[in-house]
This record gives sequence, C-alpha cells and structure tokens, in this order.
Amino acid sequence: MIVCVSHNIISPLGSTSAENYAAVKSGKSALRRYDGLWGLPEPFVASLMNRDDDKNGRYTIFEKMIIESAQKAISDANIDAASDRVLFILSTTKGNVFLLDKRETGFPKERVRLGMAAMQMTEYFHNPNTPLVVSNACISGVCAQIMAMRELEAGNFDYVVTVGCDVQSAFIVSGFQSFKALSPDECKPFDANRCGLNLGDAAATIIYTKKDKVGDNEWVAYRGAIRNDANHISGPSRTGEGSYRALMAVLGDLEPSKLAFVNAHGTATPYNDEMESIAIERAGLSGVPVNSLKGYYGHTMGAAGVLETIMSMQAVDDNNILATRGFETLGVTHPLDVTNKNRSTEKHAFIKLLSGFGGCNAALLMAKGGLR
Amino acid sequence: MIRHQVYISPNEVKVDGKALTIKSCGSAMLTDLYREHVGDYPKFFKMDTLSKVGFIASELLLNAEGDRSFDPREDRAVIFFNRNASLQDDTAYQATIQDPENFFPSPAIFVYTLPNIVTGEIAIRNKYFGETSFMVIDSFDEKIIMRNLENAFQDPITKSIIGGWVDCSDEEHFEANIFLMEK
Amino acid sequence: MDELIYTLKQQIIEALNLEDMKPEDIDENASLFGEGLGLDSIDALELIVMMEKNYGIKLQDPTQGKEIFRSVAVMADFIAKNRKK
Repeated sequence: MIVCVSHNIISPLGSTSAENYAAVKSGKSALRRYDGLWGLPEPFVASLMNRDDDKNGRYTIFEKMIIESAQKAISDANIDAASDRVLFILSTTKGNVFLLDKRETGFPKERVRLGMAAMQMTEYFHNPNTPLVVSNACISGVCAQIMAMRELEAGNFDYVVTVGCDVQSAFIVSGFQSFKALSPDECKPFDANRCGLNLGDAAATIIYTKKDKVGDNEWVAYRGAIRNDANHISGPSRTGEGSYRALMAVLGDLEPSKLAFVNAHGTATPYNDEMESIAIERAGLSGVPVNSLKGYYGHTMGAAGVLETIMSMQAVDDNNILATRGFETLGVTHPLDVTNKNRSTEKHAFIKLLSGFGGCNAALLMAKGGLR
Repeated sequence: MIRHQVYISPNEVKVDGKALTIKSCGSAMLTDLYREHVGDYPKFFKMDTLSKVGFIASELLLNAEGDRSFDPREDRAVIFFNRNASLQDDTAYQATIQDPENFFPSPAIFVYTLPNIVTGEIAIRNKYFGETSFMVIDSFDEKIIMRNLENAFQDPITKSIIGGWVDCSDEEHFEANIFLMEK
Repeated sequence: MDELIYTLKQQIIEALNLEDMKPEDIDENASLFGEGLGLDSIDALELIVMMEKNYGIKLQDPTQGKEIFRSVAVMADFIAKNRKK
C-alpha cells in the first residue's frame, strides 16, 4: 500500500502543517483585499505570501517556496533526497510565469519553463532524477499524488516527494478577472450568495512510500482516478460527468458510511459548486458531509490538491470535520450536507475531489490504517 | 503495445512511419491538414497552436486506427508530455496585459494558458470520459514517457491510451510524436 | 449604421478567430450564440473585451451581454448609443 511518510504546508497561515491546521481549525483566513497591487486596475481579494525579500538572490519566490516545503517534509521523513531511488514530482499550473513580464529582470527567462523551475529544486537536493511536472490545471495536486502512487506501485522508486505550488501574479489574477470568475469579497463555497473565487499562494508537500503492512495511524493513499467531462474546455459539465465518474472509480465497493467527509473543490463559482453537488449526489454521497477549504486559502491552484489532502488528513487525525468558511445557506440544487462549523467524526477515510479547465476531474480516496 | 504512431513537425508529417504529402509548412500546414483530413470541426480554428498540433495528430492517429466512432467511452486515456507547457499562449496573454495604457486581458487567450487544454479538446471531440493528463519534463525522454504511460494502465478502466509528446514554442515551431497504445 | 455593422462583423471575426468566415457570411439579424454562430461563454467575455477596446464601452455585469449579443444588429445599435470612442 502507498503510505504517507511526512508532509508540510507553507502558506500565509503558517509554515508547517500543524500551524496551518491550528489556524484553520480556529477559523483564521489570510484572505484580504488588495487595491492597486501589481498595477492591476481592479481590486481583488486573495491570500498572499509576503514578497518583500524576493527581488535578489538565487531563487524566485516560487522556487523558494517549493524548496522550503520539500526541505521540511524531507527532514521530517529523514530520507536521503540525493538518492536515485527518490523521485520529485512537482504540481503546478503556472510556475514562474511572472518572469514573462518585461519588468521582471532578476532571473533568466528560461526559468519560466516548468521543468527548469522544478530542476532548481532537484539540484538543490542533489537529486539525480529528472523531476516530473504535472500541469493538469486545477486538478494537478491530486494528479501528482496519483502519479506518485503509480511510480511506487510499479516499484520504480522507494520514495516520491510530491510538491504542489503556485504563486499569484498579475498574469493569473487578470486572467481570472477577465473570466469574471473572481469574487469581490471573501468567497462563499456552496452558499446561495456565492459569486466567484479568490486566489491564493501556497506550497505543500507529501512524501509517499510503499509498504506491505500499515499501522493503524498511517495514512494510505488508497485509490485515485482522473476522468474528463468530454463537454467543454472551460465550462463544467451540467451532469457532473467527470467528477461523478472519478468518484465512482475511487469508491469501488466502499460503503459511503465509511467516509468522514468529501473535501470538495468548492471554489465558490456558481457553476463549479453546482456541478459538484450533482456529481456527489449521483455518486450516492449526499449523506456524507462535504466541506471546502477555499474560504481559508483561496484557490491555491497547483498546491490545492496537496494542501487540502494534508489538511483533511490532519482533521481526521483530530476526529474533526473542518468547517466550510464562508458557507451559510445551501445554494446548490442538489442536497449536500455542507459543514458550516467544525464537527466531530470517528471515521477514518475521506475523498479529496477536484475539477479544472480542460474538463478534467480527479478524486483521491485516503484511508487511515487502510480501509477497515 | 503500440498500435499506431503519428509524427508532426513544421515540415514533415508521418503516419505509421509513412510520410504524408504536404503542401505547406508551419501553421499553414496545420490548416491544410485540417481541411484535407478533418474538415468537419470548425472549433479547430479557435484552438491555440498546441491544441491544433495535438488535435491534428490525434485525428490522423484515429483515422489510421479506422472505424471512427464517436460513441462515448471511458476506457481510453489521453496523456501528453512536453517541454514548453503553454508557453506560446503565456507569451500571447502577457502581451495583452504588458502595457498599462493598453491593458485588455483576453479571456479567449487566457483559457489556453494551461497545457492540458489540448487533452480536453481531444476528449471533447471523441467523447472520451477517461483519464486526461498533461506532464512537463525539460527535455524529451522516451524512457520517462513510456514509464508513465505504462503506469497509467494501473487504472483498471484504462484499456488504451493516446499518448506521447506534443510541444509548441510558437506558432511556427512545434512537434508531435504520439501513439495509440493498448494494454 | 451599415458601416458600423460591417466593421463590427470584421472585429468579431478577428476577436473570435472565426478564420473561415467573411463579414458577408454573418447575418446581422441572426443569433450570435446557441443556434447562430454557436459561440460560447468565453466568446461572450472576449466580445466584452472587444467592445471596451474598440468603443470604450465597459460592461460590468457579464449577464448584460446576453441581451446585447443577441445579434450583430442589436450589438451595433447598443454601440452606436453608448460608444465613447
């Protein structure tokens, strides 16, 4: 079985997984309004890291974050990152894209290539393997974990360091503004008054290995699946086709009552949350609590799948289902049990669900101590 | 097992190792290939170059497979790799926001600033509900590509894959080397 | 008005990459979305940008687009009444 060895989250809410969990459990969010930042004509609400010291030096803020997050997870796992039996997988959508801006002159433009950015990290750790970058839109973080599971299952490596990261910039924010997809206030996942998403900076790392026997407190990445809507490159499917199929694939013959919760994508755009409600109901999971963490972090893009998996593992470890910050009144047409406050649970498994542009969807079933 | 293979560069097109006669080069060639071998999918014109290259390559590949059916299926995955991700569109989009005096972010370009859109275009065209994935490595490496494609068969639903390399650095510079692979 | 309609058709073709079409191919009274040209929501957003860029018209509420983009003729009428450049 594929087992989580260690993890880390770096976000505006903290630089360890534990700090992040404590902040979120107490309802903290780093979302705030930015007016005139990066010369953008329209204000926006986002969860951003401090960028003060990133003008000079060897690494961009993106590279610093992936190295720091990987470093912390590697040191907790106590593994030799320089070994050829260790693979690095990076999940990101836009990497160093801000280097395309003509006003950015501090770094070579070639670092805009995702593979080059990833190599800054592997070279830092003296790892000899070519890093794999998963760039599958907003589902990248779960896809990267699925790719890690497959490499370990095939016996190709002993450890896979899976790092997810994106940092916001004028490029990304203006793009989402041009889609009219951003909320002018803090986002409200699944709420009747939701009107768009917020964006966020974060890096998160999970290290996986393969084990024959699993302890009761060890987290198993049990099954993952990626499916397409085959409908539209930017609009979610009206039948939730891809998410529904991904959910069915990871559920297998598992009783829904074994699940503590489904940690949804829950971006708080009108279409995404509605689509997820359709998919979750179709998959027979309307009785399972649902939450979204976008109200704490915004949408952290390439980091989201990794970060939200780590937060969900910590919640189950704490016998807790995290509240969906920003949610008050159900605003989707299919009945969902969305958590509006922290809630206790005795269950040991959850599903992480994501969907993204290109019609892609991904689900990951995580089970503490394996399925029992 | 590899069933069929398509190679496209700005001045060469090969299907299962056999060169196709082409009348033009670069982006014009892609439009000519569309008109000669596809013809019934005007969405092609709205695609970015990466999607056009991947789309045309997949059409040639599926024509080689023969017996084109557009019945929905979940057992076929689309998994691509490249070096430049969506660089051509990233550059084009940056140009729409570079000048504060002429700041008009383009949604139609922004939507293509994700490399996996090409896998979605192919899934939509053929009604594939299966896996679609996009991965980036900094240089073409057959071993890494084949290893990850073999891995993808660990999903019990996946029986065949349209997979391989689809790269594009600008409108006139691109390369596809994709194949149809069965479990 | 005819001149504006013709120019607008050219601008729509350019903004939306409708490579195969000529202005003459677009019926100014036919629906732009759904049945007619078969445009989608991203196209609608791109047309909003096009109106701002070429005519200085800023639409805050994208749902307003649904009314305005009913046809090229409706769009031209709206532009004639609201243009700032």
